[in-house]
Amino acid sequence: MKISRRRFLAASLACGAATSLTVTKNALGAGTFEGYPEGMGVLVDLTRCVGCRSCEAACNKEQNLPEPAQPFDDTSVFDQTFHGGQKRRPDENAYTVVNRYDQPDGKSPVFRKIQCNHCNEPACLTSCFVNAYTKTKEGAVVYNPKVCVGCRNCMIACPFQIPAYSYSSAFDPVVKKCIFCYDTRLKYGKPPACVESCPQGVMTFGNRKELIKIGNDRIKARPDRYVDHIYGENELGGTGWMYLAGVDFEQVGFDTTVGKEPIISNVKEFLGTVPMVLAIWPALFTGFHLLAKKKEHHSHAEQEDADQ
Amino acid sequence: MKTYVQHGKTMVDSPYKVEGKEKWTLKEKLLLGLTPRQYLAQAVRNPFNWILALIFAVGLPLIAGRFIFGLSFVTHSSNDYPWGLFLAFGLFAMVPLSASGFMLGTTVEIFGRHDFAPIERLALLNGLLGYFFAVIYLMVDLGQPWRLPYPMVVSFGTAAVLFLVAWHVATYLTVQIAEVSTSFWEWIGWPLGKQFIKKIAVGLTVSGIILSTLHQGALGALFTYAPGKVHPLWYSASFQWIHFFCSAIPAGLCMVIAVSTIVKKTMAWRCDDEFLDRLDSLTLGLAKGASLGLITYLAIKLIGIAHENEWAYLATGWGQWFMLEIFIGVVVPIALFAYGIRNNRPGLVRFTAFLTIFGIVLNRINTALIAFNWKLYQEIPHWKEVVICLTIFAIYVVTYRFILYRLPILYSWKEAPALAEEPVTEELRCPRSEPVPVEMYRSVD
Amino acid sequence: MYTTWKKYLGGIMLVAFCLVPAAQGWTQDPPRTIELDSLSHLYEGVTFDHVLHVDLGESCAVCHHHGTGAPVQDENCARCHSNAEKTKVVTCKECHPVDPFSAEYLRERELDAKLYHRDKPGLKAAYHQNCMGCHEEMGGPTGCQDCHGRTEAGDAMFRAGAYAPQGGAAPSQH
Repeated sequence: MKISRRRFLAASLACGAATSLTVTKNALGAGTFEGYPEGMGVLVDLTRCVGCRSCEAACNKEQNLPEPAQPFDDTSVFDQTFHGGQKRRPDENAYTVVNRYDQPDGKSPVFRKIQCNHCNEPACLTSCFVNAYTKTKEGAVVYNPKVCVGCRNCMIACPFQIPAYSYSSAFDPVVKKCIFCYDTRLKYGKPPACVESCPQGVMTFGNRKELIKIGNDRIKARPDRYVDHIYGENELGGTGWMYLAGVDFEQVGFDTTVGKEPIISNVKEFLGTVPMVLAIWPALFTGFHLLAKKKEHHSHAEQEDADQ
Repeated sequence: MKTYVQHGKTMVDSPYKVEGKEKWTLKEKLLLGLTPRQYLAQAVRNPFNWILALIFAVGLPLIAGRFIFGLSFVTHSSNDYPWGLFLAFGLFAMVPLSASGFMLGTTVEIFGRHDFAPIERLALLNGLLGYFFAVIYLMVDLGQPWRLPYPMVVSFGTAAVLFLVAWHVATYLTVQIAEVSTSFWEWIGWPLGKQFIKKIAVGLTVSGIILSTLHQGALGALFTYAPGKVHPLWYSASFQWIHFFCSAIPAGLCMVIAVSTIVKKTMAWRCDDEFLDRLDSLTLGLAKGASLGLITYLAIKLIGIAHENEWAYLATGWGQWFMLEIFIGVVVPIALFAYGIRNNRPGLVRFTAFLTIFGIVLNRINTALIAFNWKLYQEIPHWKEVVICLTIFAIYVVTYRFILYRLPILYSWKEAPALAEEPVTEELRCPRSEPVPVEMYRSVD
Repeated sequence: MYTTWKKYLGGIMLVAFCLVPAAQGWTQDPPRTIELDSLSHLYEGVTFDHVLHVDLGESCAVCHHHGTGAPVQDENCARCHSNAEKTKVVTCKECHPVDPFSAEYLRERELDAKLYHRDKPGLKAAYHQNCMGCHEEMGGPTGCQDCHGRTEAGDAMFRAGAYAPQGGAAPSQH
């Protein structure tokens, strides 16, 4: 059976259009997501932290992480540096770390706890091509290791450099990060282990919207103690874990250039172009082809007639 | 091999050993018409094979080690730099260099420029092998490569750019296999396969253009997930995907020039006269396309900087590095191409093509590795990563050579009259200005 | 002549003297030491030297920020709580919950629309925040084990003491 070229072109255009409907089912055009109404969060008050590392110990125990290199009450870890000056960061064996930031003029150092910030519109989630991440209604950004292929795009995307990868595993390497103790605690309405362990009440667990009010109240009550900003309230579309500090946030290692838009906003422009190309290119190039072959078209038609 | 040819050995370039009588067997076709002993002798004689043997001796165990002991065995296990040389070179650099498939396919099939037909198959093969090995590099880099089909069948993250890349590369590989398969069907002696592909050639080519535009662009769009991490001179919020797509055009064309240069120097025995005779003018033709692409790329790069008002960055150390990349990879090639084309200097044009390829590779490695995390520290890849990259590239070269030695890519398969449903179509003429009688003129379709 | 009522004046005055503190609601003197052990699990309970702190502090309100009848120290609180009333019980754990983040406690807080103080620290945080600030200024004990030694369970969790890592692998880090 001979397929005529015209028939085939028409069929391929139809297929292309059909493919454009299925393959590029993008989550476009949504307004900014402000978090689920019952989403929980944690307000981290850096003016209270004394660097005792109880949170690190509690996380290690709760998540069954391997034995650390040093005991958790060893504060010499704050002097560790990597790659010429980088402080500690979460890795496959530690979902949260505390770092010390010395302050000038003899002021006491500020300590910062680092962990996944459980963003409202997480970059990791939007970059994952197997949908391994989920933002639960309780506010946690959790990860499904069963579908992860290990492309590590989430690690590229996270503006806070949080996800770590278990490179040491040969047959089941997966992403490792704080999951807000979802499986063991948050699902049941309980606060994560680190929050519970903190002796200084650095972390306040509660409804995210409520926490913003609490944070603002604290700033208003003690304006000399706090910088007038809740980091994470609006950054990158808002994060579940937010911070108060007594010094400028850049001084304690925060990236203050991240902006208010979630990472997906950067990508939307391209994602919107995709269906346009899928729709325009077939006709455009088929048109070029038909125009280019104008003369032969005549002779070809004669040839077809001659063959029949 | 050229020694054998010089001594009068018959090459496999038609189904028949002796005209009209004895056919080549598959084994003979595979061994290039030599006895196993002769084949081995020519392989051992070739000094390039000694270099390859050395690379494989070191590299293959390392690749095995990566899979047995995990990525920590061959990389620095960096959490800050999750993507290393495997992706920066193997994926981000190899893919634009493999854009030749859709470029030449479009030129010949869509725009009807059949004068480029002698080099079309080489360009298609270049595209196919480049993408195929980009996937190989990816498999080495992925944490769980056996789960590569997951975004196809198990779990869909449809909003992710990588989802688009995965689907498009998979589909495009299929398209390219189909396009290259015409030479395979000829060689293996199954004309029905070739007939079928010929019928759908235009559809395949249009699909190829769509898929290529999108995934070349998508590879650039991947970096829009990390806006703060790529240095502003290599990053454009709005145009990243256009920059990557536009630079893929000269990359693909220059890769064809480069490969054809290597082929001409090292395996001229395999090329037929038409290929060799036309090669210089084809090279200049490809160079014209490449230089147009480069001029456009320079323009849109400058537009990108102007758009975000990043001129101040040019005065920094990073700015100097950026200007060096643009100078070596774009400005100098534009000038050299212009001179070479105008003064009919294919040699100069060939050199410039290599320079352009270097520039494109440098641009991708800059974006993905060097200018990435520019606010943090600089990450130097593990030496094992470099060795594995080199090894896989060597496997790519060996595969390339294997196919070029056998399949009718550089030469035309001389069909026996009884088998051919139409005369050899690759011996194509330059387009004529006046209409020609139908019997003499067959279109390639 | 020695009148009858003068004979009993001393006794009456003694009784009256004893009644004054009773009128103020205290039935006994402030305790000398207090065992703070409602949270002991990872650390042992604290034997708190109350009388030392009574001597050191200017007013009861320095630690018992409200509830003792002494004027409120914190200017922020004084905005509203200028008339500090005495409460029957002044222990920390009376107001500061052991588990400030339990679902029930959060729910209660959410439902109580009139509640002003939504940011009340839990008992553990209240102890540490109250004590540590002053200790840092006055040179008191600030290390964890200065006030309460760690238990076996604590050593296990902190991977310290008998549970210290034996030359464990270096962190994979960056």
